[in-house]
Formats: sequence, structure tokens, C-alpha cells
Amino acid sequence: MRASLVSLGRSSWKGPFVVPLPIAQAKKDGTPIRTNARSCTILPQFVGLKFQIHNGRDYVQVQITENMVGSKLGEFAHTRKRWSYTQTKNK
Amino acid sequence: MVVHILGKAIRGKYRINYGLTKTFYGIGLETATKLCSKLGFYPDMRMHQLTEQQTMSITKELSEMTIDSKLLNQVRENIRMKREIGSYVGIRHSMGLPVRGQRTKTNAKTARKLNRIERKM
Repeated sequence: MRASLVSLGRSSWKGPFVVPLPIAQAKKDGTPIRTNARSCTILPQFVGLKFQIHNGRDYVQVQITENMVGSKLGEFAHTRKRWSYTQTKNK
Repeated sequence: MVVHILGKAIRGKYRINYGLTKTFYGIGLETATKLCSKLGFYPDMRMHQLTEQQTMSITKELSEMTIDSKLLNQVRENIRMKREIGSYVGIRHSMGLPVRGQRTKTNAKTARKLNRIERKM
């Protein structure tokens, strides 16, 4: 986690932006948390948990590691597909 | 006249703060000016006027800072970390495209030139 990211961005009195998620349950039985809250900040408590993050179409499974703390959930579920040329002669 | 500081040649006619700014990555005019006033050089002092001892004192100050290759490695390490955790920023770097939502239909020249995992400077 970069110090400047924290200090430059959001006012500290607000605290990180977090959405209520069923973390306690996920810690107990290890089920992935399915969520649409892409703007939720990753807290240190999330480390080791599995998330299924919505990317607009489906849910991308992501395992949270220590380096991800401080960024948002949505950063790890990409919303755009890379364009690639497909060769089709007849439609 | 050429003055050597940390193995780098600086032209003697430059002001000290300007010479440091030109030579080292990670030192701007503000940092250099602060360093000069800390070591007690008057503002218009030139590189060739430095005595041996003053050069040593500059070297000592600079070796404590994170500048040049040390700073570059730090930046690259951060980018590599972003790539390893699979974040958007890391992926944009590896594709050589702008990271902060700029347009890519045209332009994006700087990003195409510089954005890599091993970022060029």
C-alpha cells in the first residue's frame, strides 16, 4: 500500500469507503463473496478471502493478497475485453 | 571546467542547484536549492567555484537520498508489483497504454513510448 495514495486522496476523517460484506461468514467456511461493489476499498481484513467481483457481464474470481490492500475491488475485475481479429469468411 | 559528483560530469559554468537538477534523476530545482542553502552556498555560486571539501559535502548529502538508479528501480518495482497482483494499472502498463483514463483513439504517444513493465524514463 502506498502512503501517498492514502494521504493525497480522501479525507481521513471519512475513513475508507467500505460496503457491508459477509466477511465473518466467508472467513468461517471459505465461500467466495459475490459482490457488485467494485468501489469498495480492500481492507487488511480481506486478505486471503475469495471475492467474485462483477465486471458488468459476469463475476470474476479474485483471491485477495497482501499487496492489494488499499486499492479497490474493481481494479481486479477488468471490464473490457481485448480486441482480437477473428477470421470468418461467411457470417 | 568540468566538476565530477558521484561519477557524473557537470559543466562548471552552471549554477550549483541547476547543475544538480540537470544531472540527477529525482532532484528538481526545489530540492537542489534547498540542498544548497543547507550547505551554505550563496544562490549564484557556480559549479567551478566549489572546493574539494564542498564537493565532498554534496556527495555525502546525495548518497543519503533515493535518486537516479535507486529511484528508478523503486518505480519499476512498484509497476511490477501492480502487474503481479493483476490490477488495472499493471495491465495498462504492460499493454503500453495510458493508465489514468486518457483517450486512446488518437494521441497517447507518451504512454506508448514509456509505459512498460520495465518503464523507460
